[in-house]
Amino acid sequence: MPGAVGPDEIRRVSQAALDLPGVDGVEVLFMHEWGGLTRFASSSIHQSTWREDTGTRVRVVTNGQVGVASTNDFSPEGARAAADSAKEMAQVVAPDPLFAGFAPPAPIEATESFDEATASTSPTTRAEGVAALVEQCDQGFTAAGAFETTSMEVAVANSEGQFCWAPSTLASITTVISGGEHGNGFAETFGARVSDIDPESIGKRAAQKARDSQNPHDLDPGRYTVILEPSAVSTPVGFLAWIGFGGRMLAEGRSCFSGKEGETVAAPTISIFDDAASPLTLGTPFDFEGVPRERVDLIKDGVFLDGVYDMRTAKQAEKATTGHALPPPNPEGPFPLNLFLAPGDSSVEEMIAATDRGLLITRFHYSNVVHPVESTITGMTRDGTFLIEHGQIAGPVKNLRFTQSIIEALMNTTMIGRETELASEFFFSASRVPALMIEGFNFTGRSDH
Amino acid sequence: MPLLDVAKQAVEAAKAAGADYADGRVVREDSESITVRNQVMEGIDRSDSQGVGIRVLVNGYWGFAATALLEPAEIERTATLAVEIARAAARLPMDPIQLSETEPATGTWHSPMQVDPFNVALEEKVALLMEATRRMQEVKGLAFAEGGIDLFRRRSWLATSEGTAVEQTTVQSGAGIEASAVGEGELQRRSFPNSFRGHIAAAGWEHIQRLGLIEEAERTATEAVELLSAKECPSEVTTLVIDSGQVELQVHESIGHPVELDRVLGMEEAYAGSSFLTPADRGKLRYASDQVSITADASLPGGLGSFGWDDEGVPAQQTPIIIDGIFHNFISSRETATRIGERSSGAMRADGWQNLPLIRMTNISIEPREGSLADIIGDTKDGIFMATNQSWSIDDKRVNFQFGCEIAWRINDGKLTDMYRNPNYTGITTEFWGSCDAVGGREEWTLWGTPNCGKGQPGQVARVGHGTSPARFRNVQIGVRG
Repeated sequence: MPGAVGPDEIRRVSQAALDLPGVDGVEVLFMHEWGGLTRFASSSIHQSTWREDTGTRVRVVTNGQVGVASTNDFSPEGARAAADSAKEMAQVVAPDPLFAGFAPPAPIEATESFDEATASTSPTTRAEGVAALVEQCDQGFTAAGAFETTSMEVAVANSEGQFCWAPSTLASITTVISGGEHGNGFAETFGARVSDIDPESIGKRAAQKARDSQNPHDLDPGRYTVILEPSAVSTPVGFLAWIGFGGRMLAEGRSCFSGKEGETVAAPTISIFDDAASPLTLGTPFDFEGVPRERVDLIKDGVFLDGVYDMRTAKQAEKATTGHALPPPNPEGPFPLNLFLAPGDSSVEEMIAATDRGLLITRFHYSNVVHPVESTITGMTRDGTFLIEHGQIAGPVKNLRFTQSIIEALMNTTMIGRETELASEFFFSASRVPALMIEGFNFTGRSDH
Repeated sequence: MPLLDVAKQAVEAAKAAGADYADGRVVREDSESITVRNQVMEGIDRSDSQGVGIRVLVNGYWGFAATALLEPAEIERTATLAVEIARAAARLPMDPIQLSETEPATGTWHSPMQVDPFNVALEEKVALLMEATRRMQEVKGLAFAEGGIDLFRRRSWLATSEGTAVEQTTVQSGAGIEASAVGEGELQRRSFPNSFRGHIAAAGWEHIQRLGLIEEAERTATEAVELLSAKECPSEVTTLVIDSGQVELQVHESIGHPVELDRVLGMEEAYAGSSFLTPADRGKLRYASDQVSITADASLPGGLGSFGWDDEGVPAQQTPIIIDGIFHNFISSRETATRIGERSSGAMRADGWQNLPLIRMTNISIEPREGSLADIIGDTKDGIFMATNQSWSIDDKRVNFQFGCEIAWRINDGKLTDMYRNPNYTGITTEFWGSCDAVGGREEWTLWGTPNCGKGQPGQVARVGHGTSPARFRNVQIGVRG
């Protein structure tokens, strides 16, 4: 199977774009992804794929005018054609008053996030992993999900002399086990190495959830104490990346944290930060314009500090970039892609024991924004929702719709798990978060399953 | 080498590697996107992507592999890998996949277009957005005036081991404007002609010229500013009228997705979810009131879901989904149709060359009935009119939904009165559609484009169409608050 292109070849191809005459500057963002995904349903492998693609994205500036073009033709000719196209576009637009130049040369700290064994995982190995997971299903239950092993290399080269390159790998397995008398169970795990993935244990977790979820009862909507498992916590935390922490939204008054720097926005036990360099997440050490990613404390001890910035947004906000640019052009500005919610000192069992009446939530589904400035989102529970009474699990309940302000939920957090997991919201990259216990979580509707 | 020959070469390589069935699909996609905010260029970019996806059946199991490199050696390596993947799938036994019959297809197809948007001067495109945003900015109190143009061209060459060999081109053009007002803890937005980048159609530059972005700029911006001081949408159970753009979203989420047969069969269970429907519901289930008929039609001119053949080589079809409120048919693939004793409805499409085809909506449309939006509102004694989708959420079986709109007005004795901000409504799919007692006529029917429909693992984005008219629903819960 193919491997990484490597920095030397990327430099050679990029140079064809960097040599573009008649412009003030050129930036080349190169991305290369290859790998396989074994997808299963009804305990059989029904969609199994492998793919490889490259992307060479060229940003050109001339007289403050900026154009971008990209191609998956990874060759000097392809890179040069993209540069020519970007130049043509730049020449017809007005200067961008917020253009802040390209990243200056800066050292990038090397990370060890590429694992050859993960990169070379065969379809047979993934199939064996899926089989080990499926074997955990009880009679009358089936598993669905996906086992993915992918590799990526990202590089940025620009006419200022910056060059950075980082290879990485990702292994993940996700499953929903369902069957019996209408009950589902979910489990997932992520890691940089396929050796970190234990399909059997994931299967056991999901199978137990499915067993526990049988014959769910109706429950009236209303405000409940909730215990959110890490997969559920990733939803509000992930949404804050979108509607809260971006420097552009903050500067323009569109963020739920706009004007709240220094204000208490969460319980004093809550701290949220972004740290791509941590070995506990899956990050690249630089952003998509070649700036080293910094650890940024976003909420510290319940107080909102600041957001994240790219070079353009930093100029707009008169701050320094934190290394959180997305691929250009990016009208929405920077996002944090490697969020952490700091752990506390409780276990889920202790949270359950401390709950007189409440709900244990495995995960949320298809959530979306209701009111961005109030940080209100709505979504559904799925794959394991349980009523807690008098400190014990009383039984499964049918799925409920929540409509809830994230800030209010963070303010009402009373216990935080001591263990953290990488968990992925439906739309966002993975966050490392613990379980949370939250008072007065607002459920506004229910479904029939 | 002609790219159809490359596709055929992929098929031959797969057969040589041991495939019982194979298809090769070469795809080249080009796009251009321009975004202006407050007369400042926020983004202008072009992209192109080309490659081949090879899908095989080996002993009744699927395998798929894709590469951007079209050299013979790479195609041979990729085809061999696809066969290896299919063989690995046999680790978990299942009933071998059977494909429903389809006649081998040959020919070419092109979406309708008068003016190739990729040949229109960049200066003209930029000038349109600059003028539209300038006019919006003239409205006092507006914070952000944004305009965007999106162009897309997909050329594909499909060959199968059954003899299909087709070449297709679709060109899609879209544009829209968006006005935002910020203040007092509120962010209010109005869009035209629709939210999320406007109105996109399988058409040329002439479509964008007809949208009227400049003419509607002032009204759009004025409404955004007025929303800042509008009353909050009340919480009550009432009669709800929604505009054509919101009916598009309602059809997409609560009809289009549940009728995908792969969801019904559990093939999307772990990610996007499944469906409340079962094969036994065909011809029996009352999905909606008798006002509601829904058709999937891949032959509609201008639809993002239109084509000559799907990515399995099945010809474009019209499929009645709901007839006078009764559910009749799913949208399906050759594999899934066989499992319920039918033939494919021709709904398999892949995102680019690098993904395997999935069941995707074509153009799922509500059949127009009678009357204009003004007629429906005029016929409503008391209720709420909501316009333009803002957010959406629905459960994993497509039962409980909650959708938000940009703007609403109280209907009082057939007239629009108070404006409301932050409107939303919630319901249960079949109860909601069952309460529909009016669907607007042909004169209000618009074929919208949804270019961002997500599904599958690895994630794919499909471009689908929905023809919709305004509609009225009774006893709807509106104004859900956090």
